Amino acid sequence: MNRFALALLLATVPDAAAAQVGYRLRLDARVQAVSYRGLTPDSIPVTDTVTGPGGGPGTASGYAAYCVAGEAYCSFYRPGPELRAVPLETEADLSLWGFGVPGLSARIDARLGTDLGNATTWPGTEPAVQLKEGYVEYARDWLLARGGRQIVSSRLGYLGFDGGYAVVRDSRHGLEADGYAGWGLARGSLLPVTSPDLNPLDEFRPAERTVVAGVDGGWSGSRFDLRANYRREVDPTVSYFVSERAAAQAVVYPLNRVTLQAGSDWDLAAGEWGSAEASASYAAPRVNATAGVRRYRPYFDLWSIWMAFSPVPYHTWFGQVGGRPVQWLELRGRYERYAFDPTEVSTALVNVKNDGWRYEVGGTITRAAWTLDAGWHGDFGPGASSSGLSASASYALSRWRLTAFATGFDRPLELRYEDAKFWSLGLDAQTEISPTLRCSLGAAYYKEDRQRPDAGGVDWSQLRLNAQVTLVLGRAADMLRLPKAVRRQPGGRAAR
Amino acid sequence: MRPVVVAVVALGLTLPGIARAQGQDSLATFDHPRHRKLFPSCATCHAAVEQAGQSWFPEAAECATCHDGTIQKRVTYQPPREPTPSNLRYDHLRHRDRVLATQAAAGQEAKPPACEECHSEAADPWMTAKRPIPTRCFACHGIQAQHVAAPDTACATCHVTLPEATRLTRADIAAFDTPPSHREKGFLTAAGHGALARGSGGTAVAASCATCHARDFCLTCHVDAPEQPAIQALAPDPRSTAIAAQLKAPASHERDDFLDRHGEDVAPDGKRCSTCHTRESCLACHASSPRVATALYSYGAGRGPGAVVTRHAPVWHAADFTERHAGRAAAAPNSCAGCHARSECLECHRPNPASAPGYHPVGFLSRHPAAAYARESSCNDCHNTGGFCVTCHASVGLTSRATLGANHYHDAQPSFALGHGQAARQSLETCIGCHVEKDCLLCHSAVGGRRFNPHGPGFDAQRLKSKNPQMCSACHGTNIP
Repeated sequence: MNRFALALLLATVPDAAAAQVGYRLRLDARVQAVSYRGLTPDSIPVTDTVTGPGGGPGTASGYAAYCVAGEAYCSFYRPGPELRAVPLETEADLSLWGFGVPGLSARIDARLGTDLGNATTWPGTEPAVQLKEGYVEYARDWLLARGGRQIVSSRLGYLGFDGGYAVVRDSRHGLEADGYAGWGLARGSLLPVTSPDLNPLDEFRPAERTVVAGVDGGWSGSRFDLRANYRREVDPTVSYFVSERAAAQAVVYPLNRVTLQAGSDWDLAAGEWGSAEASASYAAPRVNATAGVRRYRPYFDLWSIWMAFSPVPYHTWFGQVGGRPVQWLELRGRYERYAFDPTEVSTALVNVKNDGWRYEVGGTITRAAWTLDAGWHGDFGPGASSSGLSASASYALSRWRLTAFATGFDRPLELRYEDAKFWSLGLDAQTEISPTLRCSLGAAYYKEDRQRPDAGGVDWSQLRLNAQVTLVLGRAADMLRLPKAVRRQPGGRAAR
Repeated sequence: MRPVVVAVVALGLTLPGIARAQGQDSLATFDHPRHRKLFPSCATCHAAVEQAGQSWFPEAAECATCHDGTIQKRVTYQPPREPTPSNLRYDHLRHRDRVLATQAAAGQEAKPPACEECHSEAADPWMTAKRPIPTRCFACHGIQAQHVAAPDTACATCHVTLPEATRLTRADIAAFDTPPSHREKGFLTAAGHGALARGSGGTAVAASCATCHARDFCLTCHVDAPEQPAIQALAPDPRSTAIAAQLKAPASHERDDFLDRHGEDVAPDGKRCSTCHTRESCLACHASSPRVATALYSYGAGRGPGAVVTRHAPVWHAADFTERHAGRAAAAPNSCAGCHARSECLECHRPNPASAPGYHPVGFLSRHPAAAYARESSCNDCHNTGGFCVTCHASVGLTSRATLGANHYHDAQPSFALGHGQAARQSLETCIGCHVEKDCLLCHSAVGGRRFNPHGPGFDAQRLKSKNPQMCSACHGTNIP
């Protein structure tokens, strides 16, 4: 199917060229240089152990060792070798239209990546060529049809597949319905679940690509938006469900500035209520606030055994408030408290938290060419916590933007002796050479001190360098300059 | 009925008035009252007012008959070579002849108009020469109004159109007085200046507009100039932009929800917006849905640039919008699509490694354990556990490689391998960032392990068996209960 879409696209191009094809091509290329160090499991004979730093067994070089009664060897982790990664990644996003048929267009978005360093694998660089999307689309006011590699989104998440997708609309009454079907890609990936690159530890996997299908329906009015979704994935080898889920979402605008929303999803295959939330928001130019409740429950594909382990959801209540007391100052704060449902297991020997909270306070000052941002976050809960400061300063001229950033926080773990302290400093320079060409250079130094009672506190400190080029080429009446670069700090997506 | 969004031009404070030439001005250089005892007649110096072909101004030699350095001090004087720049259509001789003809027709005694009837106030002494005084003109012509408030039909009585007043400079034009009508509320709407601009008696544009304005002035704001007969009836003249005009958003645009709901204003007839907005101004935001802009005109020759729209987020894109946008996006994807292309969503949901990271804050890698253990958001929406988490963990030794618990990674809990159940049910997604099924089946298998039952609250065995018995067989083999 994927090859078919590509062939159709390529076959169309020559004729289209004569028919005043419009195109837009965005090319991104980025190279990083990173060095880091992990852990290496090791062992020593029981007879070689000494009394370790905590009074238990240890190695002569200071590593705490773990010995099992009756075993001849004790195990421990020592710092691993320094790994150097130099990922070079490019992505090309090409859109074509003007084939002589109004509403007909095509898009292909592919990436090429490789790791020039000695690291075993930089995530995402294998296989070297990956197709994000590649489809032909026909769009009218009331209809949209698309065939090829594509990614659809709904409350049930983003799903990639090779197949067909169609939407019909009745704009007059705000009604819309869509449906899709095809051969699926793995969650959060551009590769099918059968790809060995998604299975480095040899999990159980289906022998064939899953077959996916879904339908959505929506109704929008001036004061509400409603939508319902259904999606299923089937393992064609055995015709068993991999997942079957449904969802509903509603947003209501009862008053000017006030929004109410609620939604939920259900894991029909497991017979479980999934994630859900309900919230009320007030948004005015100078102040905005949200309060709500939600729950989060993961779901797992049924080709794995994880649903049999009965993951439990957590429930939260949360609030957020933001404001702009003066034009140049923006303040923000949010808090969320959560607790897991009872797990119904007896773990007398292990004490694990079952609740936690998160918060963040911060502010952004924008004066002339300067943008200063600072925030303090805290995230305390089971497994791991972190709290600390992030700050950045940007100076933007018409074509240049310089950003310096710094972070510093504590990062204790609950299940391992590593109360790490972490800080980083970085500098980023970006220039827009022309409205269609942008370049950037960046460097960041990360310093981490993992505080352990033995010598096993590995050092994750590293220097990262990166260079990036973005180029947009095109021929169209609506050819616009490059969108602003996305950067979480400062500005971030909120500034887009 | 919705507020009509029509004309949104805010014309500057200085707008049309009546020409008052500021160029070579003999009134400013020659002190008429001081010479009032010398000259019994204006025509002594300005012969042209009585006889065609004569000079408008005296020669320097005539002044020197007195200003010879003996009788009076010498003066430096050069007569202007042309009449003072003006937009008056007035011709002294023709005006005199018309007055005489009118008098004759009425059987009145012939009485040529005197200079002071226009150039002095009634009470002024002789030779208080001034620029033509409009109220004196109005008095004869029977116009009951202030000068720049005169009715539309009156302007052309004395004035040529701006393009015809070729000798006026931009400074002259910028100094035009502003008519009171231009300061009235609503003047900037179609019902205001739009209605006033419509000509009467078969003309496309009001003569009053044409006196002070030309087409270029209208193009400062009007994108739809080619479709407006009144504007097309004006001749082009780049000097007309000397009168400053500035686009100002109408009151409707100040509504809190305007950004969200302006589509409803547009929908019935996009032409309403086309007065001030080009197709390009829509595309500043609607880059991903250019069809919404097709009702508007594209910027080009003969059209004004219109309102310059700056893309900015609506107020409800609050500080935590990145974390909380899912619900609204799921319910109203078309609303998002108004401004955002699908590719923008995929920048995070299928991250482009060739582009700078955008979703996570700086240093997130080091604090990601806290975010991952109790997932504030689902990591799997954007990252594949096997391809992303496990691949990276494996490269730094953070994966299970031996009998579960043998390496004792979770050393802060000495008996973690025996009591991990609560942690696993709470954070199973995190567990599988390092562990695979085989690790768990060592104990949790009904056929080959220690037969610890992993099923917990809410486990619906029958349903799962009906949906995918293959999952059951991983632990139970062929003997699924």
